Amino acid sequence: MTKTELSRTPRIGSFAGELPVLGAVLAALGLVLLFYSDDSFTLNTLAGTFLFAGLATSWNIIGGFGGQFSLGHSVFFAIGAYMTGNLFLKYELSPWISLLPAMALAAAVAMLISWPVFRLRGPFFSIATLALTEVAMALAVYFSTWTGGAQGFSVPFKRGLENMIFAERMNNALLMLGYVAVTLLIVCWLRHSRLGYSLQAIRDNEDTAEAAGIAVLRTKLIGMGLSAALMAAGGSLYMMYVRVVDPYALFSLFDVGVKVAMITLIGGIGTIYGPLLGTLLLIPLENLLRAELGASVPGGNLLVLGVLLVLTALYLRRGIIGSLIGLADRMKAARA
Amino acid sequence: MSGEPLLDVTGVSKRFGGLKAVDGVSLKVGAGEIVSIIGPNGAGKTTFFNLLTGQLRPTEGQIRFKGQDITRLRPHHRARLGFGRTFQISQTMTSLSVLENAMIGGFLKLRGNHAAAVRAMAALDSVGLEAKADRKSSELTLGERRRLEVARAIAMEPDIILLDEVMAGLNETEITEILDLVHRLNEAGKTFLVIEHNLKVVRAFSRRVVVLDRGAMLAEGNAEEVLSNRAVIEAYLGASTA
Amino acid sequence: MLDVLNILTVGVLLGGIYAIVAVGLNLIFGVIRVVNFAQGEFVTFGLYGAYAAQIATGMDPYLAPLIVVPVLFVLGAVIYIVILRPLQNDPMMQVFATFGILMVSQNAILALTGGVAYSVQSAFIGMSVSLGPIQIGLSRVIVLAVATLVTAAVALYLRHTRNGKAIRAVAQDRTAARLMGIRVETVYTLTFGIGAALAGLAGCLLSPLYTMTPQIGMNFILPAFAVVVLGGLGSVLGAFVGGFVVGLTEALAGFYLDPALKHAVIFIVFIAVLVVRPSGLFGVAGAEEVGLRDQN
Repeated sequence: MTKTELSRTPRIGSFAGELPVLGAVLAALGLVLLFYSDDSFTLNTLAGTFLFAGLATSWNIIGGFGGQFSLGHSVFFAIGAYMTGNLFLKYELSPWISLLPAMALAAAVAMLISWPVFRLRGPFFSIATLALTEVAMALAVYFSTWTGGAQGFSVPFKRGLENMIFAERMNNALLMLGYVAVTLLIVCWLRHSRLGYSLQAIRDNEDTAEAAGIAVLRTKLIGMGLSAALMAAGGSLYMMYVRVVDPYALFSLFDVGVKVAMITLIGGIGTIYGPLLGTLLLIPLENLLRAELGASVPGGNLLVLGVLLVLTALYLRRGIIGSLIGLADRMKAARA
Repeated sequence: MSGEPLLDVTGVSKRFGGLKAVDGVSLKVGAGEIVSIIGPNGAGKTTFFNLLTGQLRPTEGQIRFKGQDITRLRPHHRARLGFGRTFQISQTMTSLSVLENAMIGGFLKLRGNHAAAVRAMAALDSVGLEAKADRKSSELTLGERRRLEVARAIAMEPDIILLDEVMAGLNETEITEILDLVHRLNEAGKTFLVIEHNLKVVRAFSRRVVVLDRGAMLAEGNAEEVLSNRAVIEAYLGASTA
Repeated sequence: MLDVLNILTVGVLLGGIYAIVAVGLNLIFGVIRVVNFAQGEFVTFGLYGAYAAQIATGMDPYLAPLIVVPVLFVLGAVIYIVILRPLQNDPMMQVFATFGILMVSQNAILALTGGVAYSVQSAFIGMSVSLGPIQIGLSRVIVLAVATLVTAAVALYLRHTRNGKAIRAVAQDRTAARLMGIRVETVYTLTFGIGAALAGLAGCLLSPLYTMTPQIGMNFILPAFAVVVLGGLGSVLGAFVGGFVVGLTEALAGFYLDPALKHAVIFIVFIAVLVVRPSGLFGVAGAEEVGLRDQN
């Protein structure tokens, strides 16, 4: 143990170190928008894709880094949509402002529901969050003052940046790109933060994490709150983007809650860019399947996705990016 | 030993259903000691450890640490008070790198990645794993994983370190290295409580030995005396040679 | 007074339905430690199986179990071997995999039926029995009776047969069971098969009571999870008793609050049980391995 060995600077990733890659990824996505700037149909698709990339990135915070598989994130998404929609409709409050109470409420609900379940281990969290979705949908249909009941409600088309309502599809797409950028920025920070390391330690081994002084319950709750808040922000953007929502669209298991988990799983769970990659692959695939099968074989698109989900769980557990990283690690180890 | 001992365990028991895994064990450990716990398989050694670090809660009895009653505290609170431990079945965080595993320990008392990483690196250095800092912990051999656990515990800068069969599966060289490390840290003021099977290691480790058998304390005292005690030989060696 | 009697009757009958669905789920949960989100789909297969049997042969749905139960036993065993066994050490991937099975099942049925709702005919539909002032549909009484018989049969099977004892041994300590020469993998396959077969039996018995739609399995899976948590992981008796608690809760909530809120009430019961008594009413030893370790 000589002095020189001890003073060797440890090689760890850092938030700043992630920024060049993040910049490049966002620039590439921006270029794609630029390339399709005259094609409003594609821009629309891209806006939806970016929204999902942001949602999946948010899910990944607790699902990927924390290892707690929520199947109920659609609830937090819906909280964002309802909060922003109602405040806009009743008080003409700008969605830029209503984002904040939406995020706060989603985080509060997430933590409240998770608290009893996080005290236990294993799959209870998945069961509880799945049940939460069903309950939330029933409540949304029941409390129609806020949700418009089963028919849902819409907000008027009042153009303007302050309302996040645009005539130009490009502006919608840019807004969604901004959402992706914010969620990715937060995850880049998280990956190298004490909170992020604590979440990953808990995911890998709860006993060890606890013995190393990590407050397991509190860390999981904070991760869940952060994840739910970002999900709600996506819901707020979605509300002003589509301007009409109903409970079935918001809570349908496969449309949001399970889809974000599935996208993340396929792209690479617990990696920074896995959810983005998963979205870029899965959303176009889903659109294609729906166009090809939707009319002739009802449910055919979801059938294919279900098969894909089982196969991914069986053969690609770490997702595409996770598997690539694993490959790189093995090559590095072989060379060393 | 003057004043209050560092760790003071009084009449601690743990029941699982009808089975009494730990039965009324009392033990005082003074600052700067190395105490070994031996006993046949199933004697309740690991359960006793889990009671000390808070993974389990005792059915009866009291545990005091630095004069404070910690009987009901959660493991992470005890870690903050100064408990570091390794696990019998090696538990590393497999998706994190070796350095990041040790950093998890460093984060206990330090804010900021750099500070935690520097301390983690020093801890890895002391267990001889500094060259593998960038590897995934899943790529390590069993012996290396045990040393990584020790490094993580050291990085926490605890007052007392509990080692649960940390030598199992290690070769002679590795055992000597860990022994050296423990003695070095002990000279620097750390207290150790060690579960160990290898009696040669026990003799090298510590002046004081505690024997557990079927959950209860069978003998306690000077290593040489205890290891030549007739009852101990029957319970421990008899059981292991049978 | 008659209202209350009616509600209690509805609750008990509903409890019979949940009990028969939950017994199989709890067996799988308690023994293999797999959270099977696809368990409701096995019920769906039972329902559609009874329909298919009737279309093909004109068979009464109450005879359909003769075909459906063995078919579902085999299907369950195959699903376990092909999909779940490789994921044994990765419970979270099992969540995904069983969820994928659920997606495949629901949408395959949707594709095959085109979303048209089906129902079966039975000689017993429309018959009822009188219990004092209350009329009860015979079909529901049959469910209740069979649920009771099945619970007793499963309990006796686990207690007295060689295979049943092996299942209990594995549920308590799989390592020890393996050391004693029990073939754990075979026990798991057997258990999953039995769990699926019980769900299929439930489906056949429920077919005269429900109009079949592709997503009907979802109606059972959430109450069944509540039943399992309430009754205690791995406890057959717990699943039976829990079924009635959940059934009564649902009936009372539907009457005194609003039928639309019955699932919300069940969910609150579910969460309350996890907070107050996470091992359930009849929790068994070893449950903490699945996740019942209190972190207080």
